[in-house]
Amino acid sequence: MTQSQETVELGPEDRAPELVPLNAIFATDFVQILVPVTTADTMTEVAAAVAHHVEGKRVRARPYEKVVIHNGRVVPAEMTVAEAGIAPFDHIAVEYLIPKGAS
Amino acid sequence: MTLLKREEWQGFVRDVDWTPTYVDYEAIYPEWHCGTGKVPREAWQGWEESYKVSYPEYVATQREKESSTYAVKAALQRSNTFQNLDEGWKSATKMHFGGVALVEYAAVLGELKMARFGLNGSWRNMATFGQLDEMRHAQITTFFGHEFVGQDAQYDWTQKTFHTNDWVPIALRNLFDGMITSPNVVDLAIELPFTFETGFTNLQFIALSADALESGDVNFANMISSIQTDEARHSQQGGPTMEILVEHDPVRAQWVIDKSFWGSARAFAALTGPAMDYYTPLEHRKQSYREFMEEWIIDQYIHTIEDYGLKKPWYWDEFITGLDTWHHGLHMGLWYWRPTTWWRPKAGVSKDERAWLASKYPNWENVYGDKWDVMIDQVNANNVEATLPETLPWLCSTCHLPCCNATPSRNGEWKVRTWQLDYDGKKYHFCTNACRQIFWKDRDNINHETLIDRFLAGQIQPMDVGGILNYMGMTPDTMGDDPDYGAWTRDYVGRAVEGLAAATVQVATQ
Repeated sequence: MTQSQETVELGPEDRAPELVPLNAIFATDFVQILVPVTTADTMTEVAAAVAHHVEGKRVRARPYEKVVIHNGRVVPAEMTVAEAGIAPFDHIAVEYLIPKGAS
Repeated sequence: MTLLKREEWQGFVRDVDWTPTYVDYEAIYPEWHCGTGKVPREAWQGWEESYKVSYPEYVATQREKESSTYAVKAALQRSNTFQNLDEGWKSATKMHFGGVALVEYAAVLGELKMARFGLNGSWRNMATFGQLDEMRHAQITTFFGHEFVGQDAQYDWTQKTFHTNDWVPIALRNLFDGMITSPNVVDLAIELPFTFETGFTNLQFIALSADALESGDVNFANMISSIQTDEARHSQQGGPTMEILVEHDPVRAQWVIDKSFWGSARAFAALTGPAMDYYTPLEHRKQSYREFMEEWIIDQYIHTIEDYGLKKPWYWDEFITGLDTWHHGLHMGLWYWRPTTWWRPKAGVSKDERAWLASKYPNWENVYGDKWDVMIDQVNANNVEATLPETLPWLCSTCHLPCCNATPSRNGEWKVRTWQLDYDGKKYHFCTNACRQIFWKDRDNINHETLIDRFLAGQIQPMDVGGILNYMGMTPDTMGDDPDYGAWTRDYVGRAVEGLAAATVQVATQ
């Protein structure tokens, strides 16, 4: 009798969250900062984690949605760090999504 | 016996040398220390210092300098001058004492290396005087700083700084190990005497001396002026070395000088820029940091390198643009991460001070005013906690300083951009394009790990603010804080504010 040797590749959503330290900049802040997130965090959570250190502390808070930019593209809000392929030491920018016509 | 006249013997003794017969020349002067490279060994026979000195003359002059410096110190010890100095100026001196005292000692080792491996007898002779100079500088700086320890424990960092893993001395160790400890003597003579001492110590010793006198700190001005007179002599080891290197290997000469100029400029932006434009009381400022750099560093540097047939460095435009931003960003970083400093960084952004900054740097309000305004409003809302750090700034893998250099966008907005590099399975981040290029060209050299590298490798435990401060050697009695929040925030009390982060509510538990 033999047992099946078949292995199953787990998707990012099935793995335990892993720490992902990021190099991040928030909007017009003056400095890049270290922000630790996890592979399971969504972009909404990542944006909040970065904003926590800067928004209303060095950059005045604005009433707009925040987005994460990675490798030059805006990453959808519900996507997780793992799904977006954001790796440790990657650079991200968090920006306000300012509606047209708003100052 | 009649003594010979100076001119009858000096030409002979200044370059005494030997022709070895029992060992190979290479065994005495190994290439990895001497670094002659493409320069034929015999070419170094033409090395000649422009200002010649004998040992008796040296001793007499140095004795006189020491006597007068210590006499002024002794006289001022009986006055209350120190008590009347502005806190901002005291911080400038604490930065200087901590940042410089043991670098002078590192320079002793550099001079000793040239005194042993220099490729000409007269070079080795000059370096012997040079190491005596540097020993004096290490001692006088440590001694002068030590006097104040009893009155202000932060002065203890005069000696302590380079024995800690604070991020500032890590950055300086990285710079000076690259400039003094690791190079062969040819590169060392270009990096330390030619670039750093001829160019940049003027900035620290002449500009700060002027500001010290204006601020009433005669003792400090006296000390650094005395040091500068030695620098002016032993820095001349760079010139003859450069002359010979340029003739035989101009590409190497250009690279070594470009690299060391950039590293020096980054360090001075962090240490001297804030001292000149923020810490020195407004009424005592002689020139802005940019004005001083233009007058004393840039003009002189360009003339010097052109005299040797070299070109402006490839990064020149980036460097000139940075004169309007580097030290302002670094000042904001030093202030925001003030618990990691061994001085009391004053913000220096009252209305009058901002008007002065805007007059010297037309883009200052546009780039930095909005951030200071939020911090001012937080202080006035009694929420100083919001102006204290909960994470680390990202530190550049070349200069080890925070990545905080804004550049303009096409829409007029100033932003800090990423300069990154994937190399050997690792991702590196840099503060500027030139720091990235220097890292790439110099990648086989040993570089220190940045504080970020150490933190993420788990070398700092616990991995929180307390763990980081402890790793840096910070103690509650010496940790930096703003000396007077009201001095720069009271101009703005009562104005309408919005967009502030709320204060953390402390709830008492039963």
